[in-house]
Amino acid sequence: MASPKTVPKDAQVMMQILKDMGITEYDPRVINQMLEFTYRYVTTIIEDAKIYSTHAKKSNVDADDIRLAIQCRVDQSFTSPPPRDFLLDIARQKNQTPLPLIKPYTGPRLPPDRYCLTAPNYRLKFLQKKVSSSVGRITVPRLSVGAVSSRPSTPTLGTPSVQTVGTKVGTPVSLTGQRFTVQIPSSQTLTVRSKAPTPTTPTVQNVLINPSLMGSKNILITTNMVSQNSSSDSTSLKRKHEDEDDYDAL
Amino acid sequence: MAAVQDGPMELDAEKEAKPEILSDGTSNLSGNTASGTLSSSPLTAAPAGGAPKMEDQQTLIAVLQFLKRNKLSESVEILRREAGLGEHQEGSQATDGSGGGKGDGDGGDANSLLSRVSITSAAAPQSMPVKKDQPDVSVVLSAYSQQGDPPLYQVYYSGLKNFIESVLDCHRAELSQLFYPLFVHMYLELVYNNHETEAKAFFDKFSGDQECYYQDDLHILCGLTKKEHLKGNEVLLDFRTSRFVLHISRDSYQLLKRHLQERHNNQIWNIIQEHLYIDIFDGMPRSKSQIDSMSGSLAGEAKREVNKAKVFYGLLKEPEIEVPLDDEDDEAENEEGKPKKKKTKKDSLGSKSKKQDPNAPQQNRIPLPELKDSDKLDKIMYMKESTKRIRLGPENLPSICFYTFLNAFQGLTAVDFTDDSSLLAGGFADSTVRVWSVTPKKLRKVKSAGELNVIEKESDDVLERIMDEKTASESKILHGHSGPVYGVSFSPDRNYLLSSSEDGTVRLWSLQTFTCLVGYKGHNYPVWDTHFSPFGYYFVSGGHDRVARLWATDHYQPLRIFAGHLADVTCTRFHPNSNYVATGSTDRTVRLWDVLNANCVRILTGHKGPIHSLAFSPNGKFLASGSTDGRVLLWDIGHGLMIGELKGHTDTIYALKFSRDGEILASGSMDNTVRLWDSMKAFDEVETDDFTATTGHIHLPDNSQELLLGMYHSKSTPVTHLHFTRRNLLLAAGAYNSQ
Repeated sequence: MASPKTVPKDAQVMMQILKDMGITEYDPRVINQMLEFTYRYVTTIIEDAKIYSTHAKKSNVDADDIRLAIQCRVDQSFTSPPPRDFLLDIARQKNQTPLPLIKPYTGPRLPPDRYCLTAPNYRLKFLQKKVSSSVGRITVPRLSVGAVSSRPSTPTLGTPSVQTVGTKVGTPVSLTGQRFTVQIPSSQTLTVRSKAPTPTTPTVQNVLINPSLMGSKNILITTNMVSQNSSSDSTSLKRKHEDEDDYDAL
Repeated sequence: MAAVQDGPMELDAEKEAKPEILSDGTSNLSGNTASGTLSSSPLTAAPAGGAPKMEDQQTLIAVLQFLKRNKLSESVEILRREAGLGEHQEGSQATDGSGGGKGDGDGGDANSLLSRVSITSAAAPQSMPVKKDQPDVSVVLSAYSQQGDPPLYQVYYSGLKNFIESVLDCHRAELSQLFYPLFVHMYLELVYNNHETEAKAFFDKFSGDQECYYQDDLHILCGLTKKEHLKGNEVLLDFRTSRFVLHISRDSYQLLKRHLQERHNNQIWNIIQEHLYIDIFDGMPRSKSQIDSMSGSLAGEAKREVNKAKVFYGLLKEPEIEVPLDDEDDEAENEEGKPKKKKTKKDSLGSKSKKQDPNAPQQNRIPLPELKDSDKLDKIMYMKESTKRIRLGPENLPSICFYTFLNAFQGLTAVDFTDDSSLLAGGFADSTVRVWSVTPKKLRKVKSAGELNVIEKESDDVLERIMDEKTASESKILHGHSGPVYGVSFSPDRNYLLSSSEDGTVRLWSLQTFTCLVGYKGHNYPVWDTHFSPFGYYFVSGGHDRVARLWATDHYQPLRIFAGHLADVTCTRFHPNSNYVATGSTDRTVRLWDVLNANCVRILTGHKGPIHSLAFSPNGKFLASGSTDGRVLLWDIGHGLMIGELKGHTDTIYALKFSRDGEILASGSMDNTVRLWDSMKAFDEVETDDFTATTGHIHLPDNSQELLLGMYHSKSTPVTHLHFTRRNLLLAAGAYNSQ
């Protein structure tokens, strides 16, 4: 710690305050942070008080203005936890309901989807594809379903047309919460890329899948081209081919 | 009837005028507030009062007397007319109202009232025996004078001090308990009524006399000099409104009462009646050491009836599982090697289970998740490992393996191990959670959906195939919180990880995909600790908002709210049978809550600093708690008594763990040491002793040195977490502190 002689007066005051409060061990930077905070707080209050006093058409700022300024700031920034009687009250209400029974064999127990963080929070504008260099590759028709269900175990989707996939939560890419992308490769070999603005082949089929799992949102299956080696580019597989106008906004 | 009811309203109007007449500006506030209390319930201090009508009448009479004295005859007439009182009624009512055995007439009443209410006169009030159980006009109006006489507070306090110093030794220790709560309440009253200079003078004069373990509180009080400072401070507001509990023997109490009534120190008496709860017991007065061991909390000690509720501390029955006997362990070894806590049966033999333990809760007392196949496999693994468990004891101390976090510039704030010690999670101040694999097996996450689609689903090793080998790594980082992570907890089935943070949320992470699944919002303030139930599904969290909450993973709102602590809840732990939750708090108490109905079943006082670690013994009977004062306290849950005190650490104890069979208690603290204590011996001594179960006052033997089995220093690494593996190897974790 810097010797008291070379330390500015404000910092000395701050050191004394810390000492009075019984804090003996602290990083030297704590003093700087405390001084910064003090300066910011005091100037905010005084500025607010100035505004209040001009509003009240007073020539000087007086103690009442300051008091009002402090009060308004306290409710805003330095909130304190709710008072005890309030807590006891809500506790009493909450504790009256019996504990809910647990349904057996329901897989991972998570709240309803809208309270989970399992849905992707973005969607891509268009699906970019480029002809891959290796034209001679054989494309195997493949049905890949990127489903986002919030159940890490293997649920069935409930529709015979789509294969069951062990979907784990955390397939983070490009799928909206309630949409599936089924990419059925067509005869062309295409690598899907995100940047090129060319749309995909016109064989787009929109199939509505049983929405029971996903609430009332539509589930879209789009057919698209996927090449064999795009699996390494994990983002491409889940890319959804989407013409924005066709689909509901999320 | 109507007349009487109107009376108090008129009274209030009159009363508000009165303080002005008495010409003391400071009492204006008191007059107003007091009239407020009058209209609600005149006798806050006299619990066993007479009928409310009686009190109103008495108040009316008193006011009439007062008006007469001041020759305000017109007001007297008006009041009399409105209140419907006749001349004769006053006399009779007065004698009725003054209760039995006093014999003071109207004049006496008026005199005492006058002297009490007048602020300018420094004369002590006349003798008016203020019995706790008799409504008294003086008591009614004393509400007004409570805030009066600021300079006299010092006089009263020193008077009490002199008295207590002059009594017999055996009573002195008990009565000295009064000093601290009285001091704080008087100081707060002075501050609350804007007597800043008097408050400061009062503080300077008497703060040095208080016990050393209250010094932290006094530091905080020292900074509070204005009423505005009190407003945001919930802890102190709670302190003001809750009652500080003291245990005093009947003899000492009689002494005190006699003195206070002799000296007419109604000020102190009022404070005692309003703010203190004196739990009187018959028996020997306690010694200083006994009192010191139990006191220290912000709310005094615990009332005796609080700790009388029945607690089911036994363990739940283990389910029947067939263990395949395909390894080399003989059955004899199995039987011997079984840990003590399995009271029920040997699964391999399939013998009948014992009868229901009377101290154990019913299986279905709280709903618990069913046992899945994976859980059954886990249990089988557990039993196999437990056969290889080392039996620990004073002659056979565990080996300690210390996991040091080097270069943890992010600031390690929380650590947890899985039960089988395969994974280690660390919460950091940079709001990340990192998970490491302790075994050579790397951490793998599940493949993405596209890749999952192509694997063969019918193969035998499908569970291996769904894991992504390409991104396997020693450790994984979980991002999501927006504030330092103060608590981490693995689920027993190793599928989930919980983390609680300063941003007010508790997050559930999947250990299959290493992503965040849910954010539980409820505390709007930092959440200091979280803990999964030993059976999974439930978890508890405690934070700065002074409550602990019980959640289930599939409900986005808490199921139970455990409210009652006066200050932040810093540590939360489940009991091994998942029916109870223990919480330790900054108000220096440990509370035990029932999950079924969120009742507080035990309040355990005795710590002198905030409690930062809790550990239940594996048999469920005992609880160990560690705090910033460097002591570990051992509690018997069934009786709610302190049964041991382990002194030795010099700094906050952040880690406490019992060995798998409960023979050894390991404690780790900020003073860079791990200490091992002989818990078997500590608990044995208790069971042979004769509890004074009625009074709850036990004399603790000072045997910390005998119980200390070993002390191990680390090289400047504070110990953040301790964990006994299933084979009783002790693992410790902490971040290297290079300073």
